[in-house]
Amino acid sequence: MALGRLALGTVGASRRVSLQRGLLFLCALVLLLLSEAVEPLGASGSPGGAGDSSGGSHGLQKGCEADVTKSKHPTNRTKKPFPVLSFDYEHVKTPFEISLWVLLASLMKLGFHLIPRLSSIVPESCLLIVVGLLVGGLIKVVGETPPVLDSQVFFLFLLPPIILDAGYFLPIRPFSENLGTILMFAVVGTLWNSFFMGGLLYGVCQIKGTDLNTVNLLACLLFGSIISAVDPVAVLAVFEEIHINELLHILVFGESLLNDAVTVVLYHLFEEYAGVGSVSILDVFLGVVCFLVVALGGVLVGAFYGILAAFTSRFTSHTRVIEPLFVFVYSYMAYLSAEVFHLSGIMALIACGAVMRPYVEANISHKSHTTIKYFLKMWSSVSETLIFIFLGVSTVAGNHSWNWTFVTVTIILCLVSRVLGVVGLTYVINKFRIVKLTTKDQFIVAYGGLRGAIAFSLGYLLDKSHFPMRDMFLTAIITVIFFTVFVQGMTIRPLVDLLAVKKKQETKRSINEEIHTQFLDHLLTGIEDICGHYGHHHWKDKLNRFNKKYVKKCLIAGERSKEPQLIAFYHKMEMKQAIELVESGGGVKLPSAVPSTVSMQNIQPKKPPSDRAIPQISKGREEEIRKILRNNLQKTRQRLRSYNRHTLVADPYEDGWNDLLFKRQKLMEIEKKMSKMSNYLTVPAAAPDSPTLSRARLASATYVLQKIVYPQAYSSKPTSDDLPTIKVDLASPQSPDSVNLVNEFQKAATQNDPDDDGGLVMKVPFADKDQGEQDNKKEQQRLMRCLSDPGPGGDEEEDEPFLP
Amino acid sequence: MIMFFSSPSDVKNNGHRRFFPYCHIILIPRGVSGHESGGITTFFARRFHHVTDHSCAIIMGSGDSTLSKIPNVEELMEETGFSPAHVVRLYERFQALDKSKKGQLSRKDFESIKELATNPIRDRIIGAFFAQGQEMVDFHTFVRILAHFRPVDKNRPKKANMQEPVNSRTSKLRFAFQLYDQDNDGKISRNELLQVLRTMLEMQVTDEQLESIADRTIQEADLDGDNAISFDEFRKSLEKVNIDHKMSIRFLR
Repeated sequence: MALGRLALGTVGASRRVSLQRGLLFLCALVLLLLSEAVEPLGASGSPGGAGDSSGGSHGLQKGCEADVTKSKHPTNRTKKPFPVLSFDYEHVKTPFEISLWVLLASLMKLGFHLIPRLSSIVPESCLLIVVGLLVGGLIKVVGETPPVLDSQVFFLFLLPPIILDAGYFLPIRPFSENLGTILMFAVVGTLWNSFFMGGLLYGVCQIKGTDLNTVNLLACLLFGSIISAVDPVAVLAVFEEIHINELLHILVFGESLLNDAVTVVLYHLFEEYAGVGSVSILDVFLGVVCFLVVALGGVLVGAFYGILAAFTSRFTSHTRVIEPLFVFVYSYMAYLSAEVFHLSGIMALIACGAVMRPYVEANISHKSHTTIKYFLKMWSSVSETLIFIFLGVSTVAGNHSWNWTFVTVTIILCLVSRVLGVVGLTYVINKFRIVKLTTKDQFIVAYGGLRGAIAFSLGYLLDKSHFPMRDMFLTAIITVIFFTVFVQGMTIRPLVDLLAVKKKQETKRSINEEIHTQFLDHLLTGIEDICGHYGHHHWKDKLNRFNKKYVKKCLIAGERSKEPQLIAFYHKMEMKQAIELVESGGGVKLPSAVPSTVSMQNIQPKKPPSDRAIPQISKGREEEIRKILRNNLQKTRQRLRSYNRHTLVADPYEDGWNDLLFKRQKLMEIEKKMSKMSNYLTVPAAAPDSPTLSRARLASATYVLQKIVYPQAYSSKPTSDDLPTIKVDLASPQSPDSVNLVNEFQKAATQNDPDDDGGLVMKVPFADKDQGEQDNKKEQQRLMRCLSDPGPGGDEEEDEPFLP
Repeated sequence: MIMFFSSPSDVKNNGHRRFFPYCHIILIPRGVSGHESGGITTFFARRFHHVTDHSCAIIMGSGDSTLSKIPNVEELMEETGFSPAHVVRLYERFQALDKSKKGQLSRKDFESIKELATNPIRDRIIGAFFAQGQEMVDFHTFVRILAHFRPVDKNRPKKANMQEPVNSRTSKLRFAFQLYDQDNDGKISRNELLQVLRTMLEMQVTDEQLESIADRTIQEADLDGDNAISFDEFRKSLEKVNIDHKMSIRFLR
């Protein structure tokens, strides 16, 4: 509905022909490669046009016999020779056109990434606006009125996904550590910008000869409050591409999120006052109260829904499939509930996402978590794309009244007030900060103050009867948006490089960091207590304790509520690495990824069976065989995995994850011990006796887990000489000089690698068959391998290079 | 024990400020107050007038009444970089903690801080104040230990030949490292790490879990393969953490 209204709500229905032709043309132009994608568009273009121009109502009547609309037009019945098939475009018009716009947006996004050179220079947001301009131009050329970005649609449907994505994945720690600075910029900075701009603009408007004498002070202030807020959508779009360091990112982005409350209040106040025409001291005081109510109310509403969502997720363990839905629905409800009272919906969404996340994540399954992540990312990026495209289209569509003085002054004042505001506020803030903001930081914060679609939508919402200068305002707003997005957005990346501003370090958090950070937190809390200084750490510690003692118990189901953060982190890390490895298919880290089909060799480090089965084979030939097998295995393994991933049922390790992880650790220990006592490993060839059997059973029980988890323990080694060493082992397992490994884990790793390579050999034919059958076969395979064991003598000899 | 202290001084020369780093090497038996060698530092301090905010006034002789009670206060401030207000505040806190009024704190005094009682690494923190074999902490040591947590000030001059200030990144890290490294062998062994983990996780986890985490941690940080974390490895693993930020307390802001 949303986009349908967006596309058509403000525009007449007859424009559809040109719209679709425009779409078709553009898509064909930009995406010749994607022929499949163009087909539906082409198909839609002509019947849509026909149905529209020759009269949709006629088609509707014809189709009425076979349609739902039958009952509505009982009188117009004419007999049709072939009643089932008929033409009825009106029936699907709205959703169809929504899909078309979304498709166009997605295709555009896709298209830009096919041209890497373009996207490395120009930010995506700029390109999308240009596309929007082109589409709008085309529609206009054909002689129709292009649609305008409808504020209702924007605020209700396009904005929430982006904000939820931002709120749910908000980096809490840097955010809370810099909250003071962010609030300062967001509240004081925005207030300063609004009043500075509003005041000075009014001054300019009073100059004679500018034709602006009709603009009164309140209108100027209103305009100032609309234009002064930094826009989260624009900031996200640009800052995500320049990979700036965490501090600057959170400063600018946090500001853009939190200034919403200020903007909402100022906007509504000035709109109200402009209607009435007079402002008293009491109004100013009420304004301050309003601000507090709007901001805190938004946060409270959000937190309420967040807790509700967390509480709900406590009970979803039996219906995992709908878990993600709760997150989305509760957040959306929070946003809408806040909007009902004109509270800050953005603050509500942020609070909701941030509050629910830690608890929801502890409750839901890993797959649901992935679903949430992908859905949010997908929605937000589609919304973002649509917003920028429609910004372009609306520019062409709108009624503009261009006033040189007003536009120029606005742009200059925007820049000046931003710079003055940032420099002035930083001066104050730096007195309180431990890590001071440098001049470079200030520059980036000031320069990153991009304006965007929120300003446009707010301007669009203005009532023309109260503000006869609305068109001029809109023109100025659009110009400022274009200026910031194009000029600042395009130059910020070179400037960041030029100034050598610290970039974001693309690394995962290590367990070391996690432990030490927690340790330091405790340490600093202790030191604060010794100094008798109740600072930041003290209160944080109190909050943590409260959270652990009461909140977690209520909101998190079962054992996990007692799980310390460190353990949770440890699991998450293990899981993440395992999944990354599985998804990468082990292509790069082949030697370490190969043991993923760990069988009983895991606990029984031995030679690859290929060596045993064909002992006379030459080294070169062996290598060749390995290569072939490896290539084939990769595929079968992937097939297997995708089979697993799409079935929700085949998930034995999801809930018992905890135990299995440590079972794995145990196994590793056993393995270590075993590698020490080599005698134990030598299973007599003639006796597939009970210890072997039981071991095989043990191995198969942990098979699924092992398959995913095992390799990462080895691949996680940061040492660069790790991989080559193992590779040498693979190629020639007998060469002793290849073993220059120092610690136990690595030893275990090298022992496993050739083994599992061997283990894979046996599995090729069965890899893509039914799971259960496969397990059976594997069991047999193992037994067979045990039977074909060459015996103690050979084993010892072969194991030699790997012994300590 | 011999300790090296250094302090940079802003020196006013011919009307315009010049940064003139100074290096003092003071031999102080740790834990002993009112050292004799203090004279040298005071000499330098008097000779080159301080420009750093209040300290100037102190050296010129117009001290606070509390400050005048503390022996060698200028020197202490120069060493640690605390302002007089900080020192006064800390002195008041010190006296509040000093139940026996002997001018020294015992372990009991620290343990009686009730907020500290819930801190899992309380013993280690308290232990950090006591040099080996010492039973009491005097005010100077107290302040010197706390000086590790003073935020880094960028406008202090730095030079390569100078001894590092006590609140530099390295010495902050060294301080934290020593809290792990209880046997002072320059390495965090597996056992030491396990102890820390156990205290931090408060018996909520099994030994197996702890061990696997400890193994994992060491495996991750250990670069030279000695199954322990040396200071360099420790520093490396915290490379991306903003220690200046994480290990600083805003005293008296």
